Amino acid sequence: MNAWLELGITLVVILVVVLVSALVTIYVELKAGSHMQARIGPYYAGGRWGWAQPLADGAKFLQKEDLAPAKADGPVYRLAPYVVMMSAIGMFAVIPAGPDLVGVDLDLGVYFVLAISALATLGVLMAGWSSANKYSLIGGLRAAAQLIAYEIPLILAVVAVVIQAETMSLNGIVEAQMATLFTLGGMDIALPFILTGQIVGFGIFLVAAVAELSRIPFDMPIAESELTMGYLTEYSGIRFTMFFLGEYASIVGFSAVAATLFLGGYGAPFLPESLANIAGPFVLLAKVAVLVFVIIWIRFTWPRLREDQLQSLAWRWLIPIALVNVGVVATFKVVF
Amino acid sequence: MSDQPDTPPEPETDSIAEYAAAITERLGAEGYTVEFDTARVFVAKDKWVATINEARKELPLFSWLSAIDWSRETEVGEGVAEPDELEERFEVMCRLSSVTDARAINFFATLSKDDPTIGSLTATIGGAEWHEREAHEMFGIMFEGNENLIPLYLPDDFIGNPLLKSFPLIAREVKPWPGDVDVEGLPSSDDDDGGDV
Amino acid sequence: MTSRQLMHRSEAAVSIELETPGMTLNIGPQHPSTHGVLRLVAKISGERIDEIEPVIGYMHRGYEKLSEVRTYAQITALVNRIDWVSGFANEVPFILGVEKLMGVEVPERAQWIRLILTELARISSHLVFMSSFPLELGASTPLMHMLRDREHILELIEDVTGGRFHPNFNRVGGVKPVYGGGSKTKKQSMDLPAGFFKRTLKAMDLMEQSCRDIDTLVTGNEVVRARTIGIGVIPSDKALEYGLTGPNLRASGVAYDLRKVENYLPYDQIDFDVVSRTGGDSFDRYLVRVGEVRESIKIIRQAVDLIPAGPLQTKVPRVLKVPAGQVYSRAENPKGEFGYYIVSEGGKMPYRLKIRSTSFSNLSILPWILKGQLIPDLVAIMGSFDFVLGDVDR
Repeated sequence: MNAWLELGITLVVILVVVLVSALVTIYVELKAGSHMQARIGPYYAGGRWGWAQPLADGAKFLQKEDLAPAKADGPVYRLAPYVVMMSAIGMFAVIPAGPDLVGVDLDLGVYFVLAISALATLGVLMAGWSSANKYSLIGGLRAAAQLIAYEIPLILAVVAVVIQAETMSLNGIVEAQMATLFTLGGMDIALPFILTGQIVGFGIFLVAAVAELSRIPFDMPIAESELTMGYLTEYSGIRFTMFFLGEYASIVGFSAVAATLFLGGYGAPFLPESLANIAGPFVLLAKVAVLVFVIIWIRFTWPRLREDQLQSLAWRWLIPIALVNVGVVATFKVVF
Repeated sequence: MSDQPDTPPEPETDSIAEYAAAITERLGAEGYTVEFDTARVFVAKDKWVATINEARKELPLFSWLSAIDWSRETEVGEGVAEPDELEERFEVMCRLSSVTDARAINFFATLSKDDPTIGSLTATIGGAEWHEREAHEMFGIMFEGNENLIPLYLPDDFIGNPLLKSFPLIAREVKPWPGDVDVEGLPSSDDDDGGDV
Repeated sequence: MTSRQLMHRSEAAVSIELETPGMTLNIGPQHPSTHGVLRLVAKISGERIDEIEPVIGYMHRGYEKLSEVRTYAQITALVNRIDWVSGFANEVPFILGVEKLMGVEVPERAQWIRLILTELARISSHLVFMSSFPLELGASTPLMHMLRDREHILELIEDVTGGRFHPNFNRVGGVKPVYGGGSKTKKQSMDLPAGFFKRTLKAMDLMEQSCRDIDTLVTGNEVVRARTIGIGVIPSDKALEYGLTGPNLRASGVAYDLRKVENYLPYDQIDFDVVSRTGGDSFDRYLVRVGEVRESIKIIRQAVDLIPAGPLQTKVPRVLKVPAGQVYSRAENPKGEFGYYIVSEGGKMPYRLKIRSTSFSNLSILPWILKGQLIPDLVAIMGSFDFVLGDVDR
């Protein structure tokens, strides 16, 4: 096949996946959140259960004027949403949905995912700095402080996985989780990493991912009761939509990374290898859906922490625990 | 959780009057009156700050501070009952109250219209600042020692002191209050058992 | 100075030394956590507040001046717009003051109805607090649950008075005649709507459930505790100096409740506790209010048992002329001591009406308490004060 055609198809598929998953996540959050809050939520748009509400919202945002404050740093201000969006899309490029269903099968896939996801914070910082708004500035700086605090436990949690899997390729990590551990009554049993020693790492990864996503209880960069909307305060129209979509795409992206690293990715028990490419995406989707729901659930249950409390949680608890976790995993690896 | 006695002292008019008399004596105030259970103790203007500070030792809760403008003529509303006998003046009032029982005293000081100046309580009572600022902008009373007498409610460029009796209510001037002119007819008097007006 | 100017300035000064000047942050008048139109001018360095100056008056409606051109009956309609979250409770002290001046005896049943409705207003006001306070901290779910539960209370108030927020139900000499008892013409049958007490008791069961809800959702939540315990501590002497009353004062260890010390309504026949805490921090202010809802439920249940039969009104002249005199009449509002200093010169309108609104005094402590706090704590502290801007500005 023509390499360019292949690239084009991959790009289109990834874009569609990103947008659709973001829209579905938005809808689930609207609807699930409403039911948790004793409300009905979207009801009319689309005719049934308000399924078209995210689309209607999107159409509304697109019609709004794209405003920039007079004193804003124009180019940076306009570029920021693209950075956030690009970071969200980039994550999807390397996540395998099946043995062959992967945009780019990088040898350093884990490395790439972590690097590209951290770029989103750069976009946030750009938005906060360039908006010429004090609330935006505080929000952007909070986001930067948060990134530094949470990137470390996030990476340490992943390091433990990499040690156990002995590879940095995401596909390789999934395959490592599908490898037969032992045979029970004639059946090959393979277990995901979460059941084979990575449960602590999974917890750390999830907490750090929520913090990196700036979701409640770690949504201080936005904190509408303190900073009105933080770095988003001045954005409107299409640029706000891009931040918005980027946020929800990142939720799906991080959930997919967590599912790949800890929950066995596209692999499922008793799934014949011949079906892996067909059933893989659905298996991954099911795992992602559970994680996304948990992240939404947390949002509607908890209030927001304070910035210094977040820092102390990261530096005094998560990082030491993650370091111990790496040590324990490495020791087991060497001994057994 | 509660350390409140089950049967609090009854706020009888007598005991309030006795207390007002006693505190007037103790503080060396000029006099007192008691109406219903509202006790007023009159304080000389130059002893205002000292008296309030002294009284706060037994009545710790600073409740509020405000003023009354006694004028013979009024732009709005009804005037005083007997304008000819009225001495035109301001009265500054400050209410302190106990937090264990119903005792509370309204302290009054009289200011002349020519020199509406009185000492500020803000040195010892932080909560008085907003009340003094309000009284300043509404009546034009000066509180010596309050450095921050900037308008509290009104815009910075507002001219006048709205709660003075000489200050017209512009809205009322422009358009009379409908209640004055088109009140509904009262129910016929043969059904007059009162009440539902 | 905007951030851009700041940047340029420090670029220019970089050869000499890097400057880090403080920043002035305008919080409000339109800001999600100011409950309306409060403005705070904060001088901050980083997130730490060096100095803060509240600017109020955006909602000043001049009720004290307006009252001088309103008859006493008309003022009742004005005053329940001061603190609109608990409209009924604002009317009570005013009407009591006028009744004192006129020497009117109020039928017992009317007094009990006032008591029940005041307590309903208290529950409704506290439910608004219980919904908005977690929202300030970032939890949006209690908002919906508590506002849904408040609807039951508002329905009860609407049933009796016809208004959800502004009942305007008190009359000098009793309460507004309600024709709910059956006939629309026979005044003998005037009473509360049929089945009101039954529905009240049912609503009280629901309120107990919402107290349990808020306990599980908010009180035990680790993040709420981390955000509020030890934050914004007001010692009792400062609270008294700034005239704090109500739950804000009681959280600081002063168990001062006008319902206990002044029998303005038949509270002496009811067995209830004054909820007070000693910590004086934001969490205690929250706990006091949750406790007060429980006490109010207790009060209402007893009041429904104790309420005597009888007329709702006593006979008063059609045109109210209040004898000359001065009276200060106060009551325990959901937010604290609410009082009116009424100066009557014998006419149809007051000569001067001083309104002692609760939130005004409660907020006057803001410059003191917010000094040196962080911006996130500012939100937690202000949320715990439970103020209404209409009550601040009057």
